[in-house]
Amino acid sequence: MLETLHNLAVGFSVALSPPVMLYAFVGCVIGTLVGVLPGVGPLAGISLLLPATFGMDATRAIVMLAGIYYGAMYGGSTTSILMRIPGEAASVMTCIDGYAMARKGRAGAALAIAAVGSYVAGSVSVVGLMLLAPPLAAFALRFGPPEYFALLLFGLLVLAYMSSGSMLKSLAMAALGLLLGMVGIDQMSGYFRYAYGVVELGDGLGVVPVAVGLFGVAEILATAGQPVGPKVLKPKLRELLPSREEWRQSVAPIGRGTVLGFLIGIIPGSAHIISSFVSYALEKKLSKHPEEFGHGAVAGVAGPESANNSATSGAFVPMLALGVPSGPIPAVMLAALMVHGVSPGPLLIKQQPELFWGFIASMYVGNIVLLVLNLPLVGLFVNLLRIPYPYLYPAILAFSILGVYAVNGSVVDVWIMLVMGVLGYVLRKLDFETAPIVLGVVLAPMIELALRQSLAMSDGHYAIFFQRPISATLLAVALIMIVLSLRTFVRRGLDWRARMALAEKGES
Amino acid sequence: MLTIDRAAGAALAVFALVVLWESRRLPLGSLSNPGPAYMPVGLAVLLLFGGIGIAVLGSGSAPLSSLGFRGEWRHTVAIFAACAFCAVGLERLGYRLTIFVALLFLLFVVERKGAVPSLVFAAGFAAGTFLLFDTLLRVPLPRGPLGL
Amino acid sequence: MLVRCVVALAAVVLLPLSASAQEAYPSRPITIVAPFPPGGVADLTARPVAAAMEKVLKNPVGVVNKTGAAGAVGMQSVAVARPDGYTLLLALSSISIIPEADKIFDRPPAFTVDQFAPIALISADPTVLVVPADKPWKTAKDFIEDARKRPGQISYSSSGVYGTLHMAMELLSHAAGIKLRHVPHNGAGPALTAILGGHVDALASGPAVVLPHIKSGKLRALAGWGERRVAALPDVPTFKELGYPDAEFYIWAGLFAPKATPEPVLAKLRTTVRDAVGDPDFKTAMDKLETPIVFKQGEEFQRFFDADARRLAEGVRKVGRIEPK
Repeated sequence: MLETLHNLAVGFSVALSPPVMLYAFVGCVIGTLVGVLPGVGPLAGISLLLPATFGMDATRAIVMLAGIYYGAMYGGSTTSILMRIPGEAASVMTCIDGYAMARKGRAGAALAIAAVGSYVAGSVSVVGLMLLAPPLAAFALRFGPPEYFALLLFGLLVLAYMSSGSMLKSLAMAALGLLLGMVGIDQMSGYFRYAYGVVELGDGLGVVPVAVGLFGVAEILATAGQPVGPKVLKPKLRELLPSREEWRQSVAPIGRGTVLGFLIGIIPGSAHIISSFVSYALEKKLSKHPEEFGHGAVAGVAGPESANNSATSGAFVPMLALGVPSGPIPAVMLAALMVHGVSPGPLLIKQQPELFWGFIASMYVGNIVLLVLNLPLVGLFVNLLRIPYPYLYPAILAFSILGVYAVNGSVVDVWIMLVMGVLGYVLRKLDFETAPIVLGVVLAPMIELALRQSLAMSDGHYAIFFQRPISATLLAVALIMIVLSLRTFVRRGLDWRARMALAEKGES
Repeated sequence: MLTIDRAAGAALAVFALVVLWESRRLPLGSLSNPGPAYMPVGLAVLLLFGGIGIAVLGSGSAPLSSLGFRGEWRHTVAIFAACAFCAVGLERLGYRLTIFVALLFLLFVVERKGAVPSLVFAAGFAAGTFLLFDTLLRVPLPRGPLGL
Repeated sequence: MLVRCVVALAAVVLLPLSASAQEAYPSRPITIVAPFPPGGVADLTARPVAAAMEKVLKNPVGVVNKTGAAGAVGMQSVAVARPDGYTLLLALSSISIIPEADKIFDRPPAFTVDQFAPIALISADPTVLVVPADKPWKTAKDFIEDARKRPGQISYSSSGVYGTLHMAMELLSHAAGIKLRHVPHNGAGPALTAILGGHVDALASGPAVVLPHIKSGKLRALAGWGERRVAALPDVPTFKELGYPDAEFYIWAGLFAPKATPEPVLAKLRTTVRDAVGDPDFKTAMDKLETPIVFKQGEEFQRFFDADARRLAEGVRKVGRIEPK
């Protein structure tokens, strides 16, 4: 413990030195910008700035890139709450209740809660990173394809809890989303599926165009055509901050989101998007007023936002402790380390203590910087809502197109976004939910790959899922959850039949 | 009587059938060695049943004609057309020109704003974002034949 | 009168076009397309190359990542790009694999190898065979003998079907007459994670990424696919030495241009790259990446490229379509 404190002191001395602080600040600002812009996510931001870091010292480079990463998680909630456009894929869940809160005039409160939740999650999870990195990393490595499959199955169950409307409709949307996720090269056999010769579809539809299209473009198509535009909200300063009641409601979700996000983030390969989806479902399940979800529940903003911030710290665990990339973003950061001659690996913490501890300390500092940056900006951003809608929505559309194009430099992505926008518009009219589609697009390729990899590992025997302790446990818990939810299903079904019988009796 | 749910359910079922048809070329594999078509076919079957279920249970929902496209379809189509123009023109005409024309169309023609504010906004937005992203942030944005 | 106007107008419009045809090369920023996501081998090689070329040409040279379909998207975009020398491709050895894979699946190929004119080879890392340190095989011989005794039981991960890491293992399998169990992953990162977690028994990998793990004792290198031993692993024999000369595979990175690029532009690019490779900053950058510079040009590169392409095409054909049983 004493050694940790000493190391932390060293780290803070590194992190608080002016050049390092400058780079952390620059990274946070760029990250926020990147997060606010629809479509462009932290990966794009980090890739863009990677070459700029080549001339820098390794610690500064890593600090700046990390700043972009968790900064984007702060910024991503802004457009989600204000305009129902996900700033980046992990902010999709915030669009649902965050935007509903904004419609009720609580935009400032939502933004503030998102910022504070992100801060708490970011800082607390860094503690986890600091104290538990090596043992957690070793645990994370034990997640192979079978464990992965079991975990993703959990993710699918989340869909059942996400629906506020008809269960059948949500399941149909989930199936649709999963099908859409099947487009692209099949990793196990090399077949191009449903790509019709368009090479750009090789990696699938991409969650960014789908999310921005289904939520952002669809929203604009639906609202812009209304004869009466959305009422321009002019919130007063007092209303900008959350009320005491709202703070109270957000404490527990922030705590749960932090822990959940961190654990999910550690696991190599899992996407942050899952952490925010699972957090949303968890909050809905534990809430005393589940019917509020979808109409502005505070927990629906606090939980997912905290989850996706602590998932970023979680993603650093395998990266720093073992030199193993847990996703595309840590992979780029590892490359940045390699370019600077720092060889990532299990000995990184021992060989480069200033780097590791400076990095940790800079994350504390960075989170504070972001909180200070974001809270006053709440007033500024909310004022953006005052811009008359006829001017606002073309700008949003142009930004969305720009953002989606900039990710891969591909016009195909823009087309996907447009098609999904029309689909989202039609689905809204027909009273279907669109969030399950995004989750399906994310989960489908991962869950299919995990299943087939596991079967390849075991030469076709399904027993592998039950022979390995972690996956067996996860599957058992999932089974229990299914049984429990079936119980409510059955009860509801009996209820329905009883009501029908009553209605018939009444009519006759 | 065509209700929302019936139409939607039918559409989903048709889509599922299309997917099943398209998957016929991919090898199915077996339960212990699923091929590329295994999961898509399984999902398409689920979607088929889901669509049929929604259609069958959907006699109680609102009728299709109540959807109210009439008032807004022009607007929606116009917005979509502007976006489609952007997608087509982005790499052929260059970023600035495409965005300028699209914004001008949306503001001047669709939203009936004055000529001067539309021109100013469209030009300012196109040039400003280009400056921010292409020049400052070095995100390569396409330039068309006129250098725009 | 009208005819004059039209002719004058035509002259005015065409004038800048003809002028641009004669301007000196380079007069605009050059773009090197890296067809893989940032942080990968192609990207990490492309950036120092671009920086060094920029110094030599005194003209901006930038790197753009066009990812997708295991590199096919980026490669295709350069194959159909304007052959004016301003769009170049930094390709990995998969450039020879992808068209063959397309042929196997009866798809029209995304691009063909003859749509490119090779400029130079920059690096050629041979892959190495690594196994988790707690496995019983101490030498490659042990591994191969065990694989012969238990065909299809030893598993290995790769970056994807028909990818570089997969083809390396396939070449070994054919050369040594063994059968291994392939567990494809979604890229080189996840493939490495899988072996570090002990979920697979072996991996063919570029040496740079596994060196830290070999040094820390988590992985053991058994043999290499190169002509020579890897400099950083002097005790690791090559498969050639062990009697399997057909098991030769490099993850090489080379610079290409669209085929129809005019010859003077190509010549200028070749001299530029030659000078760039000699730049001390470039050398330092590649040293930090633990990637030795293997520079081949002109005839030599063409020969290397053809031989490699032939080997890989044969390998892909032998693998054939992976049909589920």
